[in-house]
Amino acid sequence: MASKKLSLQSAIMISLAGGLIALSLFFPWWGMHFIAPQYPEGLDIVVYPNKLAGDIDIINGLNHYIGMKPFSEKSFPELAYLPYVICAMSIFTFVVAWMRKKSWLYVLIAIFVFAGLLGLYDIHRWLVDFGTNLDNNAPIKIQPFVPPIWGENRIANFVTNSYFSTGAYMIGVSFLLMLFPLWKERKK
Amino acid sequence: MKKKVVSAISGLAVGILASTVFFGNFSTEQTQSTAAAKTNAEKVYVPFGEKDEYYLFASGGHSGQMFIYGVPSMRRIRTVPVFSLDSATGYGWDKHTKEMLGGYTWGDLHHPAFSETNGEYDGKYMFATDVANSRAAVMDLKTFTVKDIINVPNTSGPHCAAFVTENTEYLFLPTRFSVPLGNKYESLDDYSEKYRGVMSAVTFDEKKQKLSIAYQVALPPWSYDLSDAGKKISKDWAVITTYNTEEATTNLEINASKEDRDFIVLFNWKELEKMVKEGKYDNVDGQKMIFPEKHKGAIYLVPVAKSPHGVDVTPDGKRFIASGKLAPALTVFSFEKAFKAIENKDFVGERNGIPILRYESVMEREVNPENALGPLHTQFDDKGMAYTTMFISSEIVKWDPNTGEVLDRVPVQYSPGHAVAAEGDTVSPDGKYLVSLNKLAKDSYLSVGPSHPESMQLIDISGEKMEVIQSAPVDPEPHYGQMIKADKIKTIEVYEKDEKNPNAVYNQKDARIVRKGNEVHVYGIAMRSKFIFDAKAKRPDVIEVNEGDKVVIHLTNIDLDEDITHGFAINKYDINIEVQPGQTNTVEFVADKPGTYPLYCTNFCSALHQEMTGYLLVKPKQ
Ligand SMILES: [Cu+2]
Repeated sequence: MASKKLSLQSAIMISLAGGLIALSLFFPWWGMHFIAPQYPEGLDIVVYPNKLAGDIDIINGLNHYIGMKPFSEKSFPELAYLPYVICAMSIFTFVVAWMRKKSWLYVLIAIFVFAGLLGLYDIHRWLVDFGTNLDNNAPIKIQPFVPPIWGENRIANFVTNSYFSTGAYMIGVSFLLMLFPLWKERKK
Repeated sequence: MKKKVVSAISGLAVGILASTVFFGNFSTEQTQSTAAAKTNAEKVYVPFGEKDEYYLFASGGHSGQMFIYGVPSMRRIRTVPVFSLDSATGYGWDKHTKEMLGGYTWGDLHHPAFSETNGEYDGKYMFATDVANSRAAVMDLKTFTVKDIINVPNTSGPHCAAFVTENTEYLFLPTRFSVPLGNKYESLDDYSEKYRGVMSAVTFDEKKQKLSIAYQVALPPWSYDLSDAGKKISKDWAVITTYNTEEATTNLEINASKEDRDFIVLFNWKELEKMVKEGKYDNVDGQKMIFPEKHKGAIYLVPVAKSPHGVDVTPDGKRFIASGKLAPALTVFSFEKAFKAIENKDFVGERNGIPILRYESVMEREVNPENALGPLHTQFDDKGMAYTTMFISSEIVKWDPNTGEVLDRVPVQYSPGHAVAAEGDTVSPDGKYLVSLNKLAKDSYLSVGPSHPESMQLIDISGEKMEVIQSAPVDPEPHYGQMIKADKIKTIEVYEKDEKNPNAVYNQKDARIVRKGNEVHVYGIAMRSKFIFDAKAKRPDVIEVNEGDKVVIHLTNIDLDEDITHGFAINKYDINIEVQPGQTNTVEFVADKPGTYPLYCTNFCSALHQEMTGYLLVKPKQ
């Protein structure tokens, strides 16, 4: 029975997942919004799979006061290869949809879960790195801190809000689409 | 079933009727009382988070500056230096502004004028003239900074300017003082022969952001006072008031007030343009000078009550209104009648070869509000009604240029020179607000001793009756203003990076000091809260030179952040410049004093602004 092909409907869902993964390349995945009394409109770091956007220069300018390293696209090697990883994932998802084999789908889901966790760990690792490796010579000394991957935090006069963005939600939806065949073709 | 429908419809009808009766608004009286329900305080209060509806650009007179106010709050937002040094912004110290000022330390900024498109303010540029040193300037409204200043030769004191044509083709600069061509020495006994009141046609090149003189016109040796460009049917024309057509050379108060009539100069700038194209001009001091007695057909004189000040074209472009500052009456002239008189050669004589049109043929009516004295200047509202300042009787008179009927009068404190209405000299004034620019404040504000501020009074002109709703002191001395709808002006907050600018440094690691013989070129950055002049030096915020070196400092503010402006001053070297966010600015000087000179940021920028310092070390000659 293991060799029984997945239904066409399931294959379409998996293809859709592949499409969404590819599309997510063009959308921000994660971001952090900073608000301070002097910045009521807020400052933003917006992370795409391949680039940083937002008010990077301004945030770097302010961060040097607490001794945080300046960050740039160069300081995140991931940005260079992440697009390829995402492309590969997308292609592999399409292959699975084409094969319509359940065993392949399991492999896909496993890789997906693993990559997702790795991604989250990576963001956390950077947050720890930037929040705790503060220059001792900084004019303002603050306790090392680790902003959460998701949610609110307070650093000096700033309230930060980390959030997942469009790209990450697309990945979430594509994950659900991958799970769909498991439900659809469950043994009755 | 049918019955049900009928009862439903009638029920609905009753409901609508009832709601109309209860909530409808039938009487105009009620509308007025709701408008009046807003107190004067409410009309002018702009709470934090909201912005004013209009920008008011008030000329700063002999402060040489332009004052920017918000209307209706009448809060002063900024002072923009134009013709005078301003240490608050480093204006006149950095290389560009120092060169623009050309060695002058002050100016007398008279009449500001916005650039126009189809007779409407386009919110792009502001022009202004300097009566003291015969200059014209252009301010870019993206940054509210002056981009170019031009010296106007052959003329002295372009009081009568600036006024722009309907599409900013020209900015005309007639002059207050007549002088000999080339400003050479000539005896005043030869005034009538050797002196001229030269008018300049200035053009603005938007791409290069440069002003230049297209041509000049050698008008008779009179004083030219105010002017306005035509609109719509009169768009190719312009009008200027004159006084001292007596050509007096001393005690003008008496001698220039002898004749009962002076003139309005009516000219067609399209014709003048054509003359220049056809080579109908003389070269004077490098300028193309049109002599009206040699080349006729573009300029005419219209007699007007003596010693007129303002001349203002109605929004529809059909009439121009002039007022003799000593006479009680305002005169409404018709462009159409003037064109017909020109066509019919309905002349009563000529002066300096310029034909004089018959007064009766051009005049439409004289308006004489009872006991009103000293009409100076007229603005318009959205219905075409005129508002004229009365200097001597200290009031604003609202009247109808179509009928001459006086509609309302309101006293102002004291002695208004000009008034400015919301877009009040365009083809479509907004109504709403009028600001009376009063020459005397006297007892209006807390006393600061014998020298008083001037006063600006905000008048609500939205109703039938005018109402003075706010008063604000102002430094000397607004001669005229321009009021523009705030959303027409699109400012930038940060200068864009210009990677092609060889003087700019955007990465702090690239900051460097380059020595070329006895010249020291610094390519530095300013950021919160430090200067970096030489990234590789042991002390990156120190500039060390030898006595006698020429020092050129290029400084880029790499805080690309709203309102993070840095200053750069060197103690005892009389140097202070400003670098706005993202801007690269240059200052040059000769290090002629040996010694140790602290340098610092003058524009408070951050919590550690006080630490934003460094040193200029000047090694003495051996
Ligand atoms: Cu500073």
